[in-house]
Amino acid sequence: MLKSIHRSASLALVGGALLLCVSLALGLSACGSSSGAAPGSSGIKAPPGVQTPVAESQTGGVRGGTLTVLNHQDFEHLDPGQAYSSVDYEAMYATQRPLYSYKPNTFATPTPDLASGPPEISSDRKTVTVHIRSGVRFSPPVNREVTSADVAYAIERGANESVANPYFASYFGSLEGASKATGGAIPGIATPDSHTIVFHLVEPKAQILASALVLPLSAPVPAEYARKYDAHKPTEYGNYLVATGPYMFKSNGAGRVLGIGYEPGKSATLVRNPSWSAATDYRPAYLNQIDIQIGGDPNVIGRQVLEGSHTVQNDTPAQAIVQLAYEQHRSQLEISPGAGTNYIAVNNHRGPFANVNVRRAFWAALDRVAMNKARGGELVTNVMTHFIYPEIPGFEQAGGLKGPQVDYNAYPSGNAQIAAKYMRLAGYSGGRYTGGATLQVVGATGSPEAEDAEIVNQTLRNLGFKTKFSLVDKSVMYSKFCGTPAEEIDVCPNVGWAADFGDPQGVLDVTFNGKHIEPTGNNNWGQVNDPTINRKMEAAEPLVGTQARAAAWAAIDRELVTQAAAIPFAFDKEPNIEAHDVAGVGDVWNIGSWDYGFTSLK
Amino acid sequence: MTGYVVRRVLWGALLLILVSALTFVLFRILPTADPARLRAGHNTSPKVIAEIRAGLGLNKPLLTQFWLYMKGLFLHGDLGYSYYSGASVKSLIFDRLPATLSLTVGSAVIWMAIGLPIGIVSALRRRSRTDRTAMGAALLFISAPEYWLGLIVLYLFAADIGQIKVFPGAGSYAGMTADPQKWVTSLILPWLVLAAGFAAVYARLMRGSLIETMGADYIRTARAKGLPERQVVLRHGVRAAITPILTIFALDVGVLLGGAVLIETVFDIPGIGRLNYDAITHADFPIIQGTVLLAALFIIVANIAVDIAYAYLDPRVRYS
Repeated sequence: MLKSIHRSASLALVGGALLLCVSLALGLSACGSSSGAAPGSSGIKAPPGVQTPVAESQTGGVRGGTLTVLNHQDFEHLDPGQAYSSVDYEAMYATQRPLYSYKPNTFATPTPDLASGPPEISSDRKTVTVHIRSGVRFSPPVNREVTSADVAYAIERGANESVANPYFASYFGSLEGASKATGGAIPGIATPDSHTIVFHLVEPKAQILASALVLPLSAPVPAEYARKYDAHKPTEYGNYLVATGPYMFKSNGAGRVLGIGYEPGKSATLVRNPSWSAATDYRPAYLNQIDIQIGGDPNVIGRQVLEGSHTVQNDTPAQAIVQLAYEQHRSQLEISPGAGTNYIAVNNHRGPFANVNVRRAFWAALDRVAMNKARGGELVTNVMTHFIYPEIPGFEQAGGLKGPQVDYNAYPSGNAQIAAKYMRLAGYSGGRYTGGATLQVVGATGSPEAEDAEIVNQTLRNLGFKTKFSLVDKSVMYSKFCGTPAEEIDVCPNVGWAADFGDPQGVLDVTFNGKHIEPTGNNNWGQVNDPTINRKMEAAEPLVGTQARAAAWAAIDRELVTQAAAIPFAFDKEPNIEAHDVAGVGDVWNIGSWDYGFTSLK
Repeated sequence: MTGYVVRRVLWGALLLILVSALTFVLFRILPTADPARLRAGHNTSPKVIAEIRAGLGLNKPLLTQFWLYMKGLFLHGDLGYSYYSGASVKSLIFDRLPATLSLTVGSAVIWMAIGLPIGIVSALRRRSRTDRTAMGAALLFISAPEYWLGLIVLYLFAADIGQIKVFPGAGSYAGMTADPQKWVTSLILPWLVLAAGFAAVYARLMRGSLIETMGADYIRTARAKGLPERQVVLRHGVRAAITPILTIFALDVGVLLGGAVLIETVFDIPGIGRLNYDAITHADFPIIQGTVLLAALFIIVANIAVDIAYAYLDPRVRYS
């Protein structure tokens, strides 16, 4: 994902998370373990007195009450076939039940949700079978039991151009007939009975598909109800949602949500789903209602939360508010590790940074501590020393917080002598760049991106480079410049990534594998296309088992550091705030956002 | 007079078409975000983006898109549908308009009620202590950014986060028909903050304009005729001095009706300004076009209204 665009929304080809359950032949309880540290846990501790979602209690909440949520960001999509951002997911996983989902304290081990057990993967890795629970019902006005056909329709409509699911092609593209799918039945999805769904693939990519079943696209959609809304371009199903989770958007008798339970830019209301049965779900669902107020200034709503009652903020608080919470309301602050990466993409394909020693020199010279201070300092960041981030398996094997022991990585505040050493190795005898190139540096406007970009620009100038420095809106930075290889941007100081799944492939593959360089919408911003790295990724992709995968991808991470394929500067930790009388439970897998299915009032 | 009004209305309609065209072209040609890509999310295949583009009708030639938009707008009053929520832009605008109207009209009344008398008193007591104090204070309020001022008054007087808990704070706005009392109390702080800067500007404008007017020959004549000073000032001085201020007033009100983004954001008032701001961040063209068109409409209407008012206020103005 590009965390800076959405608070959290990610996509990557990942194959390991659900596979853990299958490959170790564990049963439901093992996959659904709800206590103890998550397997991917980095062990990063929150400051004393500050909460962390890794350790928050998921049981013992008080039932009842209304939680008020103050968000300055609006939802992007309410339709499970389209939802793809952190704020969307906050409501999505309280109202919809995909086949699998994560419990709050883990980003590595999914739990069967609508499914009744782990996915069964055939030995040739071309078939995935999932059995679904009995007794799960749609909310009014549909009011009937969910069947496997509803899951099939939910996935099939992802290929409908009126829905245009963003990750259908990546994760479900291997289904038989998926390449020609336009929203109708897909030959590769079979429902032999009302509680079994079977996925037939044309290539052995069952692991990737099984992993994707944790995403909202696998949440059931009743065809007889949704088809008429899907006939519109774009679909209007998001305005007439039905739910399977413990909550539903408030709606009228016809199921209309727009203008009733959701007023764009103003408010949303989640109420209990009368069709939901606690016996079928692992969520305790303590709250009776969630009132979401949309809009306002983060500095104001942050104070309203800290000084208010039964209130949380569920998008990123203002930096000043985080500091205020830390100093005066520490117990109301939660810091979630593993919220993604921030690094500088340098053009590996052309120009001065095609030389590995110039890249190393830049890494050595950069004051990463200063850049992190612009983001709020140690409270919300760790100095980034490699590319697999905390909570993702492989983080420790790749070097943990300290990172690989190479000299250009050893000085977080920068070291001019080491930078000069690598410039000399690159052929610049004076230790500074003396070539004629003018680097094109394209950063993002806004804080802290602009401040970070300024530090990067100054560092480049200190190394002797001339630069053409520009700041543009972040979406323009990605779509017009850094994501378009033909532009040959030399330095993109404000890129970042977070994975959908707790699997290292999701962090490294799309961003550093040469085969993923696309002419537009490219996420391998540095155009890294190293044959050794590509080959190692090919070998690591089909591996099974968390440890094996972590080890293989950690080795790739170390290789990326050796090659200085990009210049990392900040592992993100995401802050979240709550009122003093809220027992919030945050989701590690959703950058610590408060989980409405577990949060309760005191 | 009627002919003049008809001509102005026709020119106004033409201007609206030009504004529509300009907005349409600006947001599609200048480097801005691609709505299909924004809607799709990242690492999405070109096929999906193409599908979304087709679904939104963005794959059609620009001229066709423009023609369809203008046809819908002028023949059916249709402003299109939001790329994100799928909601009708017209209904979104009508939903947000009362909040913006409430904010603008209330603050306009306050700033005129405060600014003009202060300007008149300052002009009549030039270089007095009152004049210097008033103009000094005006300078202070002009210099204070309304965003900052909004935060300060919230931290001081808001019932939830203020030090002296007097007025409802941010996010407390209620519609006039839903809860009239809450409507008034929730808008007191936003009205005052928005009016503060404008009142200061209008006080200075009024002062300058009235000083100039009071030096005119016809004022001297009025005094020579033995008219009471009060009558000289109000009937002959202020009446003439206020006409240039009305022109600016019309523009200011028109602009604010198009949305007061900062005040709406700080006080969490769901008005047109925030709708427009959110639309720009999502490249939601139909909403951007709708709100820009609305702002242009307000400015045009306000200007026509002021031009008509001139004829009644200033005896020297006659339309033929």
